[in-house]
Amino acid sequence: MAEALASKDFTLSRSDCPIVQIEGWDGMLAQFELSASQMLGTALPVSVGDTARLADTLIVRVSPRRLWLIMEADAETPQPAIDPELGCSVHLGEGRVRFSLSGARVLEILSGCIAVDWRSPGAAPGRAFQTVFHHVPVLVLRTSETGCDMIVPRSFAHSLADWVADSASKRSSPGIKARN
Amino acid sequence: MNSNDRRLPAGGRIDRMRPIGFSFDGRTLNGYQGDTLASALLANGITLTGRSFKYHRPRGTFSAGPEEPNALVTLGTGGRREPNLPATALELAQGMIAESQNRWPSLGFDLQSINGLFAPFLSAGFYYKTFMGPTRRAWMFYEHFIRRAAGLGRAGTERDPDRYEVRHAFADVAIAGGGPAGLSAARAAAYAGADVALIEQDFLLGGQLLSERSDGEAAAWLKAIETELAGLPNVTVWRRTMAFGIYDGNTLALIERNDDPVVQGVARQVFTMLRARAVVFAAGAIERPLVFSNNDRPGVMLASAARTYFNRFAVLPGKNILVATTNDGAYRAAIDLAAAGAQVTIADQRSTLPAGLAAEARRLNIAIRSGTQIADLRGGHAVKAAKLAGPGGNSEIACDLVCVSGGWSPTVHLTSHLGVKPVYRDDMNGFVPGGLPAGHFGAGSMMGRYSTADAIDGGHRAGIEAAAFCGKSAAAPAPARLDLGEAATDAFRAIPSTGRGKAFVDFQMDVTTKDIELAHREGYESVEHLKRYTTLGMGTDQGKTGNFAALSAMAALRQETIPQTGTTTFRPPYAPVAIGALAGRAVGHHFKPIRRTPMHDWHVANGADMLEVGLWMRPYFYRAAGRDVNEAYVAEMRMVRGAAGLMDISTLGKIDVQGPDAAIFLDRVYANGFAKLPVGRARYGVMLRDDGIVFDDGTTTRLSENRFFMTTSTAKAADVLSRLEFLLDTAWPELRVAVTSVSDEWAAMSLAGPKSRDVLAAAFLGLDVSNDALPHMGVAEAEFDGRALRIIRLSYSGERAYEIYVGATAGETVWRHVLEAGATFGLNSYGVEALGALRVEKGHVAGPEIDGRTTLDDLGLGRMAAKRTGFVGDVLRRRPAFQAPNRQRLVGLESAEEGKRLRGGAILFIPGDIVTGHGRGRITSVTFSPELGRYVGLALLAGDVAVEGSEVLATYPMKAETVRARIVSPVFVDPKGERLHG
Repeated sequence: MAEALASKDFTLSRSDCPIVQIEGWDGMLAQFELSASQMLGTALPVSVGDTARLADTLIVRVSPRRLWLIMEADAETPQPAIDPELGCSVHLGEGRVRFSLSGARVLEILSGCIAVDWRSPGAAPGRAFQTVFHHVPVLVLRTSETGCDMIVPRSFAHSLADWVADSASKRSSPGIKARN
Repeated sequence: MNSNDRRLPAGGRIDRMRPIGFSFDGRTLNGYQGDTLASALLANGITLTGRSFKYHRPRGTFSAGPEEPNALVTLGTGGRREPNLPATALELAQGMIAESQNRWPSLGFDLQSINGLFAPFLSAGFYYKTFMGPTRRAWMFYEHFIRRAAGLGRAGTERDPDRYEVRHAFADVAIAGGGPAGLSAARAAAYAGADVALIEQDFLLGGQLLSERSDGEAAAWLKAIETELAGLPNVTVWRRTMAFGIYDGNTLALIERNDDPVVQGVARQVFTMLRARAVVFAAGAIERPLVFSNNDRPGVMLASAARTYFNRFAVLPGKNILVATTNDGAYRAAIDLAAAGAQVTIADQRSTLPAGLAAEARRLNIAIRSGTQIADLRGGHAVKAAKLAGPGGNSEIACDLVCVSGGWSPTVHLTSHLGVKPVYRDDMNGFVPGGLPAGHFGAGSMMGRYSTADAIDGGHRAGIEAAAFCGKSAAAPAPARLDLGEAATDAFRAIPSTGRGKAFVDFQMDVTTKDIELAHREGYESVEHLKRYTTLGMGTDQGKTGNFAALSAMAALRQETIPQTGTTTFRPPYAPVAIGALAGRAVGHHFKPIRRTPMHDWHVANGADMLEVGLWMRPYFYRAAGRDVNEAYVAEMRMVRGAAGLMDISTLGKIDVQGPDAAIFLDRVYANGFAKLPVGRARYGVMLRDDGIVFDDGTTTRLSENRFFMTTSTAKAADVLSRLEFLLDTAWPELRVAVTSVSDEWAAMSLAGPKSRDVLAAAFLGLDVSNDALPHMGVAEAEFDGRALRIIRLSYSGERAYEIYVGATAGETVWRHVLEAGATFGLNSYGVEALGALRVEKGHVAGPEIDGRTTLDDLGLGRMAAKRTGFVGDVLRRRPAFQAPNRQRLVGLESAEEGKRLRGGAILFIPGDIVTGHGRGRITSVTFSPELGRYVGLALLAGDVAVEGSEVLATYPMKAETVRARIVSPVFVDPKGERLHG
């Protein structure tokens, strides 16, 4: 994991982010979920944004019929065998980068990047949501009260990390400081 | 340093221990912490603060808030220069540099004030009536001079060195306005359990309470509630923050200012998009001026403003004061000013006076004249005397300050932004917000409740209701009472008084009563026409002080009621917003996100000139190939045609298409068939839009029975994916197909040239790359260093070529490896300029030809669809208009004149045509062909004249060039395809 930025109250690091996407066909979702659940050995997240942890893998329901199996950078990528009559899978192991952000200023810094109500249940620790960061679609995993991971397309990673670092390097205006 | 000779020795909300130095028009002055620029100027005796828009009349500070029409200044110098800011809303900061506007050579002596002499000719619509001739272009000549003569401040032209930010914030209840109603609402909503955002444009909370004595009961109430709010963790107070607009989804647009240059490193302005579940509007009301001759002289001020300058800033703005009013409110100003030692006279248009206030006024030796109004004012740079018209006839009194009050207009701007029509209330002679939508609440004077006690009560109720709307209903104790004794008075319609001088209704735009009358005479009676004809309300202040007087005047002229006349629509922004604030940090290299391919760093390190292609950075050409692009691309083309070249094509859109119905799906989205594409083979495909126009092209490779690998053009990658998802979700939800963007998954490179097979064999030992094993349009799946490798034999250049795909993280490694393996074969990298030129030579269409207007037949691809049916765009591509014989179609062109070049964008004519207009077609792409030794191009040319062998004239008006060109086949090299198949 590469440390892109580290300060007293904010840390940004980036790492590879192996992902396997599995998806069920419309009309076959119940059977697909049953099959996938048995294959993975755990219950699948029920609603979009829900997550489930399985050892080194975080299962995230990113859309009603689509789940992402997100592995740690050095973890072995599973090869899920999905019955083609029920759904399919695709490896997304190369195209995304994980930003891990932590520290007391995380939410303040990210308020200049993405429009997220951190108090909402949808953004609570353990939840995932998709949003747009400087016009780029990203998936955010809220990891703790003062931490989150952001999964961004690899081609945009440098540009977005630069934006975050620039945002973190500046002090907030007096008003914002007072509010936070 | 000036002496602050109008500053009182005590009182106010300024900190006399913290003096602040600033400058105005080059004069060094001082004020105190807690001052606005306007209050500091007044304290220093500066009453002339600006020049009017059109007539350059001298103007002084008129208000004490953002509604200010006169005292507009330019702040800062160089790149920090920001014009048209109301001095009344600028918090004084150490080192602040301000200057007046629209004057030359100085504010005191402005040569363009001569405009006033021509005032009779400068009425509404004057410019448009006068300067439209003698020719159609005449206005273009005059406009420059007119705009120089009439105007506001000038923006800086240097780069702004300051930082601006855009942020997002959320709250349960947002409260716009930090006066008594807003404070009470915030307190109630917070106690009820809601997260509250209280927004106040001023740097102090309190609103109208700040105009009360700083040591009175209002101040005590204010201090108590501020302390209470500070102790509530669920309340966020945004001072210095203007809510300039409200949009769908309860999104409030806020601008927070930081004008203190001492605070380095923080954003000068922050644009926040605050999303709230409920909104309480407590924006207060704006006092109206009175309309009379010369009512714009410096020294004329709203009565509430005079009271604010006195009580809040400890400035006595005049010593001999005339207070002209139609209501009780101005009496409070008169009483406060008289108590401070000023000589005050009240001219009340009403015949019946408020007994209690009148008695108190008389006790302070204030002379009161009932049924009296101002007829005219005397004075140039400062008011000197007022001519009064009353029951006893006309009289004149000397004065150095005229305080005016024509009643109050609720600040309905924000609610109007959401389409809530203001409704007129006869009892208060003003407009209030109409029915507010669910989740929106109003309180205080904005809702027509002018007393402080009512504002506090109303705010409390609104706060509770707003919190309840958010599901927060904890008990909220009642707020402390504060009754300042304001009593509602009967609405009194101010009577405009006209004399010899101009009587202004809109001070900033120099609109007078005569302009209104003229508009009426000329038929511009509708308020919307009135606005546009006279420019009423079109200044930076949006006519906050003047609109109502103008509507009243038009209503009178039309012999209608005010509600019958109506009001104009208020739109965002409520106050001017700097473009820089809206942009935030999205400037410079952050202007847009930049996409980098996996080989980006290699390109930069190896001398590539990088080119922005959409969001992507791509190697334009390599310096090793030539001194400039023209030299380099030709050399790179020769390299590809003669040996081999490697091109980074990672930017291509890549889509994984999977599912039992994937082949059926592709058969429908492509104009040409894909159902029978064998596994292990690729096919070029073209997609149409519903209207039969070509949408995009690319190749799709069948990896297995149910799985395909689609590539799209770089430009259309996102559009194609979106289109495919749309079709699956809406048109064919029954198809079991998944589409996933894998554009970022794969690094991709194109290896092209007669030696490409040799390079490939050398790079991937053991891989059978023979023509039999890997023919044109064939695919090979392999591994490189344990990583998946996909090689598809495709050609864009016309040479034998292979697209090599590998996982993005291994992209640069494989790139280096292939270059190394190919070095002995003359392999090197080439850029997009050469790539584009190679495809022109081969006659392949791309973006310039697939421009959203061309069909398959136009591009010579009609036979791909042949007799197929049932694909997207199939029906409408058969429209008769698309079959017209003169429809432009793709042709090749080559220069018919030795040594002359063709240019992209050149317009095509046939010999004998009059060379004007759009011609018969255009050159879409052009290149110098090293293989042919001349310029060649692709063009779209009317089919009825597109005869191979004939000539056209290619004109390029930008350079006044005309070149004869010969129509040829668009395929310039290897028309039989022997190179790519060999």
